[in-house]
Amino acid sequence: MFVAGPLVGDDRRVIPVLGYAILAAGLVLALWTGIQAARRRPTSEAQMIGAIVVEVALLVQVVIALVQLFGGHDVAEPVTFVAYSIGVLLALPLGFYLAREERTRWGSVCLCFTAVVVAVMMLRLLQLWQAPVG
Amino acid sequence: MAESRAVNEDRDGRAADADDAPPTGPRRLLIALYLVFAVAATARGVVQIATKFDEAPLAYALSLFSGLVYIAAAVGLITDRRWSRPLAWAAVGTEMAGVLIVGLLSILDSTAFPHDTVWSRFGAGYGYVPIILPVLGLMWLWQTRPNAARD
Repeated sequence: MFVAGPLVGDDRRVIPVLGYAILAAGLVLALWTGIQAARRRPTSEAQMIGAIVVEVALLVQVVIALVQLFGGHDVAEPVTFVAYSIGVLLALPLGFYLAREERTRWGSVCLCFTAVVVAVMMLRLLQLWQAPVG
Repeated sequence: MAESRAVNEDRDGRAADADDAPPTGPRRLLIALYLVFAVAATARGVVQIATKFDEAPLAYALSLFSGLVYIAAAVGLITDRRWSRPLAWAAVGTEMAGVLIVGLLSILDSTAFPHDTVWSRFGAGYGYVPIILPVLGLMWLWQTRPNAARD
C-alpha cells in the first residue's frame, strides 16, 4: 500500500521511506509532549492518539521488515536487527501506560522520553538495514 | 483546531499545576528510564554473549550484568514492599559504581572493554544517560527516604 508500481520488489527503498517518516513522527511526538511537560500539563487526548498512530505505523514497518528479512534481504547483524524490531514496539506502550496513570506533567515527560527512544531505535534500525553486509 | 486543543488541556491540566501533588511523578519517570535500559542492556548483553563472546568475554559478561542491575533497580522502584527500597539502593549504587569503573576501563583498555557496552565511555553510546540515570536514582532515593522529616 506504500509502494507504487516501479518500487515493487525494491526492498532497499520501502523500509527507509516509512522508517524516516516514523523517525520524524517520533521526534514530533517527543517535541509535542516535551512542550506539554514544560507547560506543566498532562498529555492531551490528541497526543495519546498520536502515540497510537506512531505505534501502528511501527507495527506495519516491523512486519514489512521482518517479512523481507526472512524473505532474503541480507543485513549485517540479523540478530540485533530482529531484537531492535521487537524492542522498538515496547517503548510507546510503556510511555502510553505511564502517561495514562500519571495525569501530571510527569506523564508527559514519560511519553516524551519513550518517543525519543522510538526515534533513536528507528535510526539504529535504518542504519542496520542499510549497512553493507560483510 | 488549536483552540479546541487548548480547552482540552485546561480541563486535563488542572491536576498538574498544584504543587501538593503526590510525589509519584518523578518515580514514574525513573521507572520508564530503568525499564527501557533494562530491556536495552539485557538484550544487548544476550546478543553479544550469543554471537561474539570470545572477543571480549569480561566486557560482554558485564554487559549482561548491567542489564540485570537495571532490572533489579526497576523492580525496586515499581514495587512497594519492605525490600523494595533496599533493593533499589543496592541496584542503583551498583549501577553508579559500574558505570564509573567500566567507563574508566573502556577508555584505558579498549581491548578488554570495547566501546559497545551500555556503560562504556560513561554511556556515551546512549547519550550519556547511563551515567546521569544513577545520579537521578540516588537523588530520588535520598529525597524520598522514609525518615527524611525527622532528620
